[in-house]
Amino acid sequence: MSMRARQKIRAPRRGLPANGGTNDFELNWKTLSGSLSRIHTKDASELSFEQLYRNGYTIVLIQRADELYDRTKQLEKEWLCGEVQRRVIAGISPSLLLAKEVVDVQDQATERREAGERFLSVLKEVWDDHQTCMKMITDVLMYMFIVEKDRIMSQKKVSIYSAAMALFRDNVLRASMPSSDNISVADVLKSTTLFMIQLERSGHMIDRTLVHHCVKMLEGLYETETEEESTKLYLTSFEPDYLEASAAFYRAEGKRLLETVDAATFCAVVYDRIAEEKERCSYTVSNLSESKIKEILDNELIRNNLAEVINFEGTGVRVMLDQDRINNLSKIFALSARVDPKKNHLTAAVSKRIVEMGNEINAASFALAQTSAPSKSSAPDAGQKKDKEKEKEKPVNQVTSSAIKWVDDILALKNKFDDIWKNAFDSDQVLQSAITTSFSSFINSTPRSSEFLSLFFDENLKKGIKGKTENEVDSLLENGITLLRYIKDKDRFEAYYKKHLSRRLLMKRSMSMDAERQMISKMKMEVGNQFTQRLEAMFRDMTISEDLTSSYKNYVREQGDPDQKRLELDINVLTSTMWPMEIMSNTKDGQIELPCIAPKEVETVKQSFEKFYLNKHSGRKLAWQHSMGTADIKATFHRSNGKVQRHELNVSTYAMIILLLFNNLSADESLTFEDIQARTRIPDNDLIRNLQSLAVAPKTRVLKKEPMSRDVKPTDKFYFNNDFQSQFLKVRIGVVSGGANKVENQDQRKETEEKMNNERGGSIEAAIVRIMKQRKKLTHTNLISEVLSQLSARFVPDVNMVKRRIESLIDREYLERVAEEPPTYGYVA
Amino acid sequence: MEEKEERTVIRKDQLEISLHNEKKLIQEGTIIDDNPLDLSEPFRELCEACRKGDLKVCQEKITEGVNINARDPYDYTPLILASLCGHYEVAQLLLESGALCERDTFQGERCLYNALNDRIRNLLLEYDYSKSTDPLQPLAAHTASLLVREQPKTSDIEVDAGDETLYLHKFVLAARSPYFRQKLKTSPETTAWKLPSTIPPQAFGTAIKYLYLGEPPRDLRSGPGTGFTESEVFAGINKIAKYLETDTLVDSILDSGDRRLARQRRTTEIARGRDQLEEWFRDNVLQNKIEIDTTKVSDIKWDHNNPIFADVILQADELPEDDLYGEEVGSTGLPIGPIESSGANKSQKSVLFPCHRAMLLRSEFFQTMFNSPFREAQMKDHLHIIPVDCSPDVLEIILTFLYTERADFALDVSVEVLFAADMLFIEKLKTKAAVVISTLGSGSMSQAEAAKTTQGSAEEDIDIYAIIRAAWMTRVQRLEEFAARYFAYRLEAHIDSPEFAELIQESASRIQKRQETDSIELLDDIRFYLNERFRLRFDDAGIEEMMEESAQQQLIDQVAADEDIEKVTSGVEEIDLASKAPTQANGDRLPEPPAVNGQGHHTVIRTLDGEIADDELSRDAINYQILMEKLDQILERLNLDA
Repeated sequence: MSMRARQKIRAPRRGLPANGGTNDFELNWKTLSGSLSRIHTKDASELSFEQLYRNGYTIVLIQRADELYDRTKQLEKEWLCGEVQRRVIAGISPSLLLAKEVVDVQDQATERREAGERFLSVLKEVWDDHQTCMKMITDVLMYMFIVEKDRIMSQKKVSIYSAAMALFRDNVLRASMPSSDNISVADVLKSTTLFMIQLERSGHMIDRTLVHHCVKMLEGLYETETEEESTKLYLTSFEPDYLEASAAFYRAEGKRLLETVDAATFCAVVYDRIAEEKERCSYTVSNLSESKIKEILDNELIRNNLAEVINFEGTGVRVMLDQDRINNLSKIFALSARVDPKKNHLTAAVSKRIVEMGNEINAASFALAQTSAPSKSSAPDAGQKKDKEKEKEKPVNQVTSSAIKWVDDILALKNKFDDIWKNAFDSDQVLQSAITTSFSSFINSTPRSSEFLSLFFDENLKKGIKGKTENEVDSLLENGITLLRYIKDKDRFEAYYKKHLSRRLLMKRSMSMDAERQMISKMKMEVGNQFTQRLEAMFRDMTISEDLTSSYKNYVREQGDPDQKRLELDINVLTSTMWPMEIMSNTKDGQIELPCIAPKEVETVKQSFEKFYLNKHSGRKLAWQHSMGTADIKATFHRSNGKVQRHELNVSTYAMIILLLFNNLSADESLTFEDIQARTRIPDNDLIRNLQSLAVAPKTRVLKKEPMSRDVKPTDKFYFNNDFQSQFLKVRIGVVSGGANKVENQDQRKETEEKMNNERGGSIEAAIVRIMKQRKKLTHTNLISEVLSQLSARFVPDVNMVKRRIESLIDREYLERVAEEPPTYGYVA
Repeated sequence: MEEKEERTVIRKDQLEISLHNEKKLIQEGTIIDDNPLDLSEPFRELCEACRKGDLKVCQEKITEGVNINARDPYDYTPLILASLCGHYEVAQLLLESGALCERDTFQGERCLYNALNDRIRNLLLEYDYSKSTDPLQPLAAHTASLLVREQPKTSDIEVDAGDETLYLHKFVLAARSPYFRQKLKTSPETTAWKLPSTIPPQAFGTAIKYLYLGEPPRDLRSGPGTGFTESEVFAGINKIAKYLETDTLVDSILDSGDRRLARQRRTTEIARGRDQLEEWFRDNVLQNKIEIDTTKVSDIKWDHNNPIFADVILQADELPEDDLYGEEVGSTGLPIGPIESSGANKSQKSVLFPCHRAMLLRSEFFQTMFNSPFREAQMKDHLHIIPVDCSPDVLEIILTFLYTERADFALDVSVEVLFAADMLFIEKLKTKAAVVISTLGSGSMSQAEAAKTTQGSAEEDIDIYAIIRAAWMTRVQRLEEFAARYFAYRLEAHIDSPEFAELIQESASRIQKRQETDSIELLDDIRFYLNERFRLRFDDAGIEEMMEESAQQQLIDQVAADEDIEKVTSGVEEIDLASKAPTQANGDRLPEPPAVNGQGHHTVIRTLDGEIADDELSRDAINYQILMEKLDQILERLNLDA
């Protein structure tokens, strides 16, 4: 049966031996080994691939693949141990063995270098040959490798190629020198290569490709036959020494640089080194080491020295900042960024410099304010008039202008650092926050920053924006807002701003309502709705008042009041809670002051308006604020020569009241200060100031004072001055130091502070109650931190104050203590 | 269920919509019907074979060239039938031969839907169009790669086109374009051309890529910087297409939007390209083969300038006639015989084929050869003559495959093809040889008959011992499985022969060489198929209740139960045979007739050991036991643990 089957189907039989006998194997192997030897000696061009392949194929088919493998390996080993080893060892000249460490003399270096190049090229040649041979042998024996792959694997054997590479490693590279047992070819290779690299680092030209080739060889060889990536000879036997040598080199270099060069040069050198090492990894050594070498550079050259470089006296970051050395700064920054994502040293240096410069600005502006203060208080009594007057004006302006200068300086500083940040620091987040913190810290270190900033706005909105384009105004305001961002106690700023704004509004000193509104909307964007609520309400009041005034005029006309002499009234009705408190308060030192007595004419109008207003809005209470008003009056001066001179005087409401007293007096009659005070009940302060502006100010002496001095004493007498001279028909008589916004003096500031604290107390309590209502129960620490975070947008609350407020709330039974450890509060509904 | 994670089956309404759209497109003539109706007799036979799982007939029909993607009057395609009836091997064969099972088409989804079990369904999904390709794709990919391949140098003509130079192959140009053929005929020795400046280089490049069966370009590389506008390039292509008489070139560039349309166009184009290559191959390479005495081969000198542009010659030696029986020496040896020194009176003949290295590169053997620094890769005055260790017929088969992707050959050379393909590393041809052997060689192995095969009852086409050794030697898993299956279905005929024992011994030693495991691969496989042989019947009978009853019992009992049922079936068959009725008298759609109870008691039934059994049921049960025991005995005799 089976015989018949075989006729039907047959297998190829040519070229195959009868029984896989030894003879066939030997026969084939003989041809094969002969040819392989010819391959070694580069005499392969006449060999036929087909024939060699068939030899290998046949051997595999007769199941002798294992033997073929072993014999091929043996053949390779013999070849490598003999001829190849001899060649390599012959290529090592004694000079390579001697000076293993440092080369001191230049000649010796040259000599060694030449010997090294000779040796490397021998090795390179041998390696190339070996690779070519193995490629060819692998090709010839490809049937064996492909077919027997599984079996070879399972027997823990590796491909003949890998095996041959391992043989090369053991029999060529690890062959020890005949002269000394301890040194192998690989050791010589390593020391030679390191020597070459050392040469290149110190600026010599070397044969890069040659070195690279030999390193590549180490990369192509492995510790084990299984050829795991991590066991590359390069990694196991070369790299550690290479890295160590590099570290030593750069440690020394770093030290040398620190001693000899300045910061900018240091950076430049480091930069060059980085580029150089990167290139070296690609062209001379191995890319495998790139990251490690980078690490060494970072460590030895940068990290260890950076702090010192940044703080270099005279050339460090401080000077670079001062001189705007963008290039150098950006180098320093890049180096810092390499070694430290937080760039601690750099940020510290920058912050320090910013705070220093900021403090200088602070100090300068206070110095300015200080110089003015003494002159103000030491102003001598009246007597020498004009000089003194001038001096009196000056300090006021000086303080204000010092505030404005302060703001301008800070803005300039800010611009400078913004530029640096953008151009040198690569718009880095970490540095940005460092810069912000530094600015904020020195700005908040002076308690007057809020006031100064508000003054800056005040000044600009009153005068500064005159003749400026919309864009300029916009950027001006924007700058101010930038500073506002840094101010922590925003409520304090709000208070000042409100105060200044109210003056601007009521006294119509504002340059442009558009700019005012713009300002408000900018603040709204920056700080939030709550912040601007009251400011907006102030604007609303102004608008409503205009309508009110006109409708009141209509009302009066309809009434058909026959009194032609009736006063015209422009009225501003202000919502008391929205406007600054000191304007509204009728109290002084806790006592309610009686309203001042207005002359009859005025009183009628007042009553008429009250009637009109309360008709419209019943249930409201009107309180008159004379101190804030102005009046236009027509004054007639009877000259001694009989002529009559008329002037229109624009005066404050109080001044009007005072002047009206003189209407009923004859020219030589006088009123004492006390008389006036009794008849008008104008508060002392205001009275004195108004009298000063009417009788002392040189250009607006509508009254004569006796004795003529600067100060006003209760017994001073006042006459109407018929000799009043002015070249203008209309004369504006300002109230001395009453109307203008300027830097507050100590008392005023204390007052503001106090008000602020009261207000803050309210806010804190509100916040506490809000939080507790929601949480019902909260530990002390949590409560404090929540309060702080809720209020941080407006101001930085004092923890002690918060504690006091909690106590007070407990006393008032809003809260209760529910536990002691940890201290916990509960909300009492 | 497990499919759900990856791809869910398309909903029925979606399927209907796509079916409707498809029909419309086909009617409009935009696309060709993938599954045309086929009412021819050969196709009907193929369908029938697919139903029954008859591998041999399937293979024969496929080789005959029956369209395996056609459909029968009930809209069934062979693949649907095979997967519906659960014939894994048939389905695999169809898929390997290019049967389509494309997701998102009606027929494709239907196929998946109908698959009898998960094993088949996974097989189908594996061959989804996105993964599998046109069977001709490897050929196309190879020719296209010739344009960019740098090593080894195979080009014999350079064309300067604008800034770049194209390195081309005369035989490809001649085969693919009548224009080039004509031009090269008049001056075959040309080695360089210059493109007229009127033709945009891009257009020429596109045309060349098309000739080399490359993918059509996404865009025409026109516009700023190239010096030509798109319309100029296009006009150029048009002109070239006319010139080169390649009328489908323009189409291939135009409609590349529709995925299916593009695929069809490409399939058609590759098929056309293949036909052109084949025609050229037959007219030139095969026409120019030289038959000569082996001793005189070295006298043949071919110049590099030859009319068919060959650059290498392959040599195959004829076998001496008497060598055919050389193997009878003993059944203990390897299936492959020794070299018989040919009789001195007969001079050995050789056949030489002039070939093109560009195509030979498809074999890794040749690729390595031509890339190596050995003699064959060097340029000499005359063409190298490279001997190839196989018969001329086989070499012709191999060359035909390399040039045309065609692999149609008979069973009798298939083993030799298998060895040659293995030697030359042509995986696809090797697989093909294995397929031929395992399908055609299965003989009349319909399960029903195989089961009752006894000594001398069936004529065997093949020496299964030789096959399995060849399988081991060439590492073809499929063939090993085939042999095991073959043995399992005819175990009675082999189990007692010493040759079989030896084979088991060999299999065991193979494994021991690999690893110290305690299993013998061949034996395991045989047991598996033995089990299948008996189990199959049970499944086909479809008596589920029996299954459930036996589900609780021990495995052995279950096997016994299976056998019981199986016997009923085979009883029926025997009756049928006795009455000279055809075996498949009552088999219509299913390969096995449904079980009919109560008819199996009329004949005397003997088991393998000659005992008289009560009925077929118990006979098979006993037979199974006997076979299993015998396997164990062999193991004991061979001192093997398994």
